[in-house]
Amino acid sequence: MGSAILNGILMGSIYGLTAIGLTLIFGVLKVINFAQGAFLMLGLFSTYWFVELTGANPYLALIFVVPFTYFTGYYTQKFLIKPVFESEKDVREPIGVIIVTTGIWYMLDNLALMLFGAEYRTINVPSLSEAISFFGLYAPLSKIIGFFISITIAGALFWFLKYSKMGKAIRATSQDREAASLMGINQYKIYNVTFGIGIAICGIAGTVLLPFYYVYPTAGMHLDILDFVIVVLGGLGSIPGALVGGLIIGLIESVGSQFISYSWTIEIIYLLFLVILFVKPEGLFGVKGEF
Amino acid sequence: MGLSKKQIKVILLIFSTITVFLIPVFIKSQSYLQIFIVVLFFMYLTTAWNFVGGFAGVLPLGHAAFIAIGAYVSTILFMQYHISPWIGMFAGGIFSAIIGVIIGLPTFKLRGAYFALATMAFAGGIKVLIDNIDTIGPINVGGPRGILINYSGNSFVNFQWVSKVPYYYIILTMVIILVLFTVFMMKSKIGYYLTAGGEDPEAAASLGINVAKYKLIAMALSAFFTALAGSFYAQWILYISPQSVGNMNLSFEIAFIAIIGGRGTIIGPILGALLLKPLEEFTRTYIGSALPGAHLFILGLVLVLVMIYQPRGIQEIVLKLSRKFMKRISKKV
Repeated sequence: MGSAILNGILMGSIYGLTAIGLTLIFGVLKVINFAQGAFLMLGLFSTYWFVELTGANPYLALIFVVPFTYFTGYYTQKFLIKPVFESEKDVREPIGVIIVTTGIWYMLDNLALMLFGAEYRTINVPSLSEAISFFGLYAPLSKIIGFFISITIAGALFWFLKYSKMGKAIRATSQDREAASLMGINQYKIYNVTFGIGIAICGIAGTVLLPFYYVYPTAGMHLDILDFVIVVLGGLGSIPGALVGGLIIGLIESVGSQFISYSWTIEIIYLLFLVILFVKPEGLFGVKGEF
Repeated sequence: MGLSKKQIKVILLIFSTITVFLIPVFIKSQSYLQIFIVVLFFMYLTTAWNFVGGFAGVLPLGHAAFIAIGAYVSTILFMQYHISPWIGMFAGGIFSAIIGVIIGLPTFKLRGAYFALATMAFAGGIKVLIDNIDTIGPINVGGPRGILINYSGNSFVNFQWVSKVPYYYIILTMVIILVLFTVFMMKSKIGYYLTAGGEDPEAAASLGINVAKYKLIAMALSAFFTALAGSFYAQWILYISPQSVGNMNLSFEIAFIAIIGGRGTIIGPILGALLLKPLEEFTRTYIGSALPGAHLFILGLVLVLVMIYQPRGIQEIVLKLSRKFMKRISKKV
């Protein structure tokens, strides 16, 4: 039981990391990126191929994965999402952008299927799967490293948004795009950068997950749905909310599967999601507003 | 003396109706006929989806749940209580409409993306539920294995035929009835109120339209009609499983095809299915084994391109072309 809680916390922090990208993009663009899971799959696959081809330590893959996913996100926003975003600027319920991101999701998943086939792939790093004792509780080293990376990334992002010039511009745009534009901020540039950062965080999550996870073309789909639950639970747009939401979902998954089968825990997560949407759509940390 | 545009339209309509009815006479290959049935099946689903996704102006991404409800209700009634699938079909439809209203009541309060997420979670929940349940009391649901439907040869009461031709005519009739229903509904008060509420809920509400009520009506109708297709599917394929009828990809495909065709128009979803389904079937048949997923990749690509360059769907281009064509014809004739 203690180990289940520990593993839930570790796993939950990594879920939180995958959800941070989604919540950041929503916070600034007010767009739910349905392709987030597909970008996570991209992060998993790019880590996988980096390790396969170089034989290096999986965490070294970050030097390749981060820029790769950042620019993929940057240009996806610039060329595919921005045109629709612009045409829908004055629409109260922008649905077109959601549809585009869903289309991107399908393209990425099936591109991976065409290129790499449907088989499950995994990297085998024995030293990382060793269980480490942690106050008498056991967890694999890879999950513990993942936990620390997640916390570090969340902290770094928080710092970046709060103190750097770009971070301030991003926050200004998220609060009021028109006013920010009037202050000389190029809002579309900010959107590209934000999308890039959001996707790069997803890429990092992919690197963190791979040592104890599989990669296959639809690997992101399961996490996609979990991510939606996490961000809505924590409050769309709230970064601490994403972390807390991730911890809650991680705990439900690992503690729940001590008592019931795994697929029933998924049913519980779905139910929880619907209940939150209906009862408290602003989530735990979100701002009350129109939903 | 030339023909008027209206006369040409009528002639074209009669001509295409006759063609559609004669297809099984000319196409003897059962596997080709199967493709036509698939196209009509999707035409029906996208048109039913359009009630909510088009006219009511929101984005439902969980319609597979209603297909599953329809398929499971009629199949369980048929297999365990020996009730004709024709009756089961309507039982499933009514049950699905009730579920649609129950799920619509809280979800229609949500905006844009939240609505999409809620419908997705609802459909996901239904699928996981069927996946996990073998029996509910005396009812055998079959869990992840699904239900195989007893095959008893040609029988109208049992909704079963050896040949695919009857299935073709049944789904064709269903499409025609649904499209006519949509045309009449859109010309009635309900239709006007529904589109008004879909385009600008605040403005419509300020004119005294009960927006939520008309959205719920649309949801109930959409769920009802979608469930009928589920029962049709069960009798046509004679096997249902959570994977085949409750799958998230199915929900997405219906939405994609309707959107590419042009949501919120009557012709859009029909054109979408007519153009995309054959394309998809052919890519799957000819390059599917070498490049699995190619057909879905194309679907995603077309969707993105349409959203960027043609957000009202391909119906706009097709209508423009056909208008030009009509002009030319009416001059010549």
